[in-house]
Amino acid sequence: MNIQKYPIKIKFYKKGEMIYFSQLDIFHVLERALRRTDLSIYVTKGFNPHVKISFSNGLKLGVEGEIEATLYFDQETSYETLKQKLSAQLPEGFDIIP
Amino acid sequence: MIDYTQFQKPQRYIGNEYNVVKKSHTDKVTICLCYPDLYEIGMSNLGLRILYGVFNQFNDVVCERVFMPGADYAKYIYDNNKKLSSLETKVSLDKFQILGFNFNYVLNFVNFLHILNLSKIPLKAKDRPTTIVLGGGIDNPQPLAKFVDVFFLGEFEDTAPIFINILKQYKDKESRLKALVQIEGFYVPKFYIESFSNNTYKLEKTYEYAQLPVKRVYIKDLNSSFYPTKWLTPHTQIIHDRIPIEIARGCPNQCAFCQARVTYWPYRQRSISTIENIVKESYRHSGYENFSFLSLSASDYTQIEELIDQTLDFFQSHTIGLSLPSLRVDDILGPLYKKLANLKKPSLTVAIEAANDSLRNTLNKKIDINSLFESIKVMKSLNLKHIKTYFMFGFPQETEDDLIAIGNFLRKVNQESCVALNVSINTFIPKPFSLWENVGMQPESVLLKKRSVIFKNLKNNRNLKVTMSYLKKSILEGIICRADSKFSSVIHRVFTKETSFSNYDDDSFLNLWYESMEEEGIDYRFYLDAKTNNFPWSFIQRTKDDVSYL
Repeated sequence: MNIQKYPIKIKFYKKGEMIYFSQLDIFHVLERALRRTDLSIYVTKGFNPHVKISFSNGLKLGVEGEIEATLYFDQETSYETLKQKLSAQLPEGFDIIP
Repeated sequence: MIDYTQFQKPQRYIGNEYNVVKKSHTDKVTICLCYPDLYEIGMSNLGLRILYGVFNQFNDVVCERVFMPGADYAKYIYDNNKKLSSLETKVSLDKFQILGFNFNYVLNFVNFLHILNLSKIPLKAKDRPTTIVLGGGIDNPQPLAKFVDVFFLGEFEDTAPIFINILKQYKDKESRLKALVQIEGFYVPKFYIESFSNNTYKLEKTYEYAQLPVKRVYIKDLNSSFYPTKWLTPHTQIIHDRIPIEIARGCPNQCAFCQARVTYWPYRQRSISTIENIVKESYRHSGYENFSFLSLSASDYTQIEELIDQTLDFFQSHTIGLSLPSLRVDDILGPLYKKLANLKKPSLTVAIEAANDSLRNTLNKKIDINSLFESIKVMKSLNLKHIKTYFMFGFPQETEDDLIAIGNFLRKVNQESCVALNVSINTFIPKPFSLWENVGMQPESVLLKKRSVIFKNLKNNRNLKVTMSYLKKSILEGIICRADSKFSSVIHRVFTKETSFSNYDDDSFLNLWYESMEEEGIDYRFYLDAKTNNFPWSFIQRTKDDVSYL
């Protein structure tokens, strides 16, 4: 069975209290935020299924700045829907850049 | 604002978890829950989360949190003449009306004094004009009686409305304490005097409305009781990084050494439908990727099979990991086995406590060893992460044969299965209220000898990992949990020697305790040798369960 995955690139800005959270923490913040939405997230199909998120860059702890990530979905999802649903779940200081 | 990057793990001090509650303090009853250990440990405590949720349900109550800061942050606070403040609104602790401390681990008692000191709050109860320090999660409150204004013994959920009403009705500390001491479960040390003569502890009340004996409180029904489904979700990893779903409270077994059995008495179960609801709600509110079913003995849950059957679909379809704390051998052999195989690598925990049948019977621990070995064969096919077993030593009835049997048993398990085997071997501590509280703890020299007998008979195996409790630490835990109010001077002395957070596995920290006991002229053997049935904690009424057994 080959389930197709639909990637969406999205940019975040990390500032304020969120600068104290590391790149590994950010992964969990995003994963849990995605899980709280009703979007159909893509889960890896291997031996140890997990949510797939890839980051194109990382930020040092304590630094404010942009993070670009690719999120994967099971179904065709529009950027607008994602943005609207995800931004409601993100903590203050970690926002989607339009 | 402080630049938190100068500290290790700055995430500890931010307080912006998902579902965090921030309210204005004006005209409110203000409570700060203080956990005398680091953030990642305290945030793994279910009790703290239940109380946080229970208190914040009231519109006229603000409940916030603080944890013991790491050594670097504590030093920063002292050096810059600052005060420790709450995570939510960064208000210093001395501005709160109530400070609620969790005292579930005795070696954290010193951290409790550090939290007060870091907030510039007087340590002794009588020196604090307004702040009320409330202590909970403790079985024998006497060692802390001089520092704490009021203890609550038992489960707080149902008492919270009464507590809040008293705080709203009375505004000054004295009248608040006088009102609280009349309510079941509250113990206000200043209204009692402890005396000791003719080998007998006696507690007398000095305020006529104070209760004696003091009673523990428990909630009647788990299904209607509060559960923190609006799960405070940290943005960083904590020690137990999962949502524990308490499926039952208490334990129906009567193991002689067990204290938790009494602390959480009586045994109550949550219904499957309530559990399902809690699971779905807390997932919706948090998006957590790991859950666990929590209970002192999960396999005693009468419908464990149905429970797993009905919840497994939800966990699997959402790719949520589920861990079961402890399974009964029959479950492995029975129909559960196939379902378990579908879970993320399960692990199996069996508390065996003693390798020989006769000693295990004396301990009142019921495990069928033959079916255990049968199940180990089944487990080979189960893709288990590991098997965890617990043993205990230091019982007075123990023979050399019992000790040697531990090694033999482990060798046999290793031969039968090729799964990693994690063994933890602990020292028996006669904890207050356990059935064997009057047994006495064996002298260090005897324990050392027994320990080496066990060690000699352990053979190296790459699948075997053994952790043994550190004797110096176990004995110290025994002393503190059994001590009386005189012992508070020792706690204070240790506090003055150690300037901030200390690792309780650190040898030098443990030595400080022994040093301080010597300086205070306290002979600790006195607390460990129990020669009577009268103890510093005897003023607390025993549960019905105990009475029928003894």
